[in-house]
Amino acid sequence: MRGGGTSTNVLPHGGSTEPIALGMDDPRAVLGAVTTTTRRRVAGLVALVLLLGLVALLSLALGARVIPPSTVARAVADALAGASPESYDATVIATERVPRTVVGLLVGLCLGGSGAIMQAITRNPLVDGGILGVELGAACAVVAGIVAFGLNGVVATFWLALAGAVATAVVVYGVSRLTRAASTAVSLVIAGAATAAMLGAVINLLIIRDESAFSRYRFWSIGQLAGRGDAIGELWPFAVAGLVLALLCGPTLNALMLGEAVAAGLGVRVRRAQLATALVAVLLCAAAVAAAGPIGFIGLVGAHLARLVVGGDQRLLLPFSMVAGATVLLAADAPGRLAPGHGEIAVGIMTAVVGTPFFVVLARTRRLVEA
Amino acid sequence: MTAATEASTAGRDAEDAVAHLVAGLRAERRSVRRRPAVTLAGVGAVVLIGFCAEILVGGTADIGLAEIPGALVGQGSGLADFVIFETRLPRALTALLVGALFGLSGVVCQRLFSNVLATPDIIGVSAGASAGAVAVLVGAGVGGLAVQAGAVLGAVAAAALIFGLSRRGGASTYRLVLVGIGVGACCSAITSYLLTFADSTTSTRAMRWMIGSLAGARWDEVVVLAVVLGAAMAAVLLIGPDLETLRLGDLLSAALGTRVQAARVGVLLLGAPLAAIATSVAGPVAFIALVAGPIAARLLARSGPLPAALVGAAVLLLADVAAQTAPYVSPVPTGVLTGLIGAPVLVLLLLHRKADA
Repeated sequence: MRGGGTSTNVLPHGGSTEPIALGMDDPRAVLGAVTTTTRRRVAGLVALVLLLGLVALLSLALGARVIPPSTVARAVADALAGASPESYDATVIATERVPRTVVGLLVGLCLGGSGAIMQAITRNPLVDGGILGVELGAACAVVAGIVAFGLNGVVATFWLALAGAVATAVVVYGVSRLTRAASTAVSLVIAGAATAAMLGAVINLLIIRDESAFSRYRFWSIGQLAGRGDAIGELWPFAVAGLVLALLCGPTLNALMLGEAVAAGLGVRVRRAQLATALVAVLLCAAAVAAAGPIGFIGLVGAHLARLVVGGDQRLLLPFSMVAGATVLLAADAPGRLAPGHGEIAVGIMTAVVGTPFFVVLARTRRLVEA
Repeated sequence: MTAATEASTAGRDAEDAVAHLVAGLRAERRSVRRRPAVTLAGVGAVVLIGFCAEILVGGTADIGLAEIPGALVGQGSGLADFVIFETRLPRALTALLVGALFGLSGVVCQRLFSNVLATPDIIGVSAGASAGAVAVLVGAGVGGLAVQAGAVLGAVAAAALIFGLSRRGGASTYRLVLVGIGVGACCSAITSYLLTFADSTTSTRAMRWMIGSLAGARWDEVVVLAVVLGAAMAAVLLIGPDLETLRLGDLLSAALGTRVQAARVGVLLLGAPLAAIATSVAGPVAFIALVAGPIAARLLARSGPLPAALVGAAVLLLADVAAQTAPYVSPVPTGVLTGLIGAPVLVLLLLHRKADA
């Protein structure tokens, strides 16, 4: 009796924030929807994988040094076969562009996955690791560890990032739960922005005194893929573990998307499930930040591109979101290298320029604000 | 079921009683607050203390007390004259004026959108000003008034963009805040990109400036700030009545004879450049615009824009003194300290806001 009462309260809310296909009235309509959905999913998957392959090739082919495609192909084949590079061009490919592409691929997969999970747990399409401040929390812990305690080593960096990310996630979620803003969607974003501003100030405080740290981390804290190949060489087990765990979260997230009451009615232990999935999302974020610094908006854009293709089923949405995240990250990274002037545009800047119009469109069209 | 209903009714009664009690206490406190002259004098005293502290302890040079009065008017001996008249006095004046400008622009925007979060630093107008200023600095390679002009252009463009993008079936102030956060992130990215074109000395200086710093204040900037603040005060006094009626909502203020849209655009065109001028001199010092209005409202029952300006000046002066003298952390750019202090205030504002605001 009581459970029924609460679920009627919760369901319309869940329906209004997220498009969940619940229409079961007309079986034919459902069947038609399934076939078109399947077709769309297959086409979307093919398109997405092709696109990822294309941007990965672009990422190998483009750079400050113009290298003809045939040389690129031969050098990549050599590098994959383990042969030592022969020419200067081949060395550039093997030591710079291949690692950079791999870093972009893994970081993109991690950020895309974490964005999808965070959006599912909070049932809020406006969030990802960057907007909630979790990435900056991880970065802040890393900088603190390096500047204050002289910690070095990539694995230590990862554990620091994880601690910082967990702490930030707890604070942001707690603040947003305690607020009485017009909607949780808005209060989460604002709590995240406030936390990010404070963490940015802490990072500045830590690095401002030390000229060498200042010049190094000022750029790292924007997000960089270049020269992070060694880091990913040590971090990939954490990233892969996080990605596998994330893929296992699909059914749980599907239940959580229905709202806490319905999920509990389906036999899910809501708090435990939320905590476990949130931990996976934060783990992915921490791995990405430890590898490449805080890169914003990838989770947001990746999750939404994936949702356009596969809809709301988390089991499919998660892998699609990962692939979409990697695609967006590589696509944002490659053109940044061709920028005129000194050096290149850091990928964090490129993703912000690509991602903010996305965020603004979402903030405009979604009926979040009234929700 | 009936038992549950009864229990919930009893609970609501208790809640009502508590709400009544809280309302009574608030009224009590408000009556204490109703001594604007005393409170204003108090804030003024804080400003004065901060100002004097800037002159006396703001920096590492050891200047004797006896030398300060002479040096203040430019009649001191070599070192004292340089330290006091060319460094500390302009810095203190800059802190005062920039704080007042941020406070004024913040409270004007808060009134305009009836939302405490809709201040230039939160909704990305300051970020737009930074982008404009850096574009002039790096692109044209000139300093001085051109930088201020660039900042104003950037801020007005950002404000127009945010305002235009958030109008959709009636501008919701929350949509405005969300769109503003997005536009602000984009402007910051553009600023970072522009900085890659700068040579290393310019970019190091510009990065400190982007955190928000009062170091290197100059007399010519003080003059610009003072003129702008004077004009802004006059403008605020002129549009004050409209600002008051806008708080009542669009319909009611239209009924009271305010041309709502014109007033909106006018107030926006006032608030954004104020923040931009302040930003172009001191960088986007975080959260001053956000906290000045609410603090003034806490101190005074009926607080207008001018008390908010005073509070902004007091907050920035104290923050700047702390940034120069606080143990362990000093010297740091002022924006670091205001960021550290301001973010928890933002969270508190979120926590304590009325559900309807």
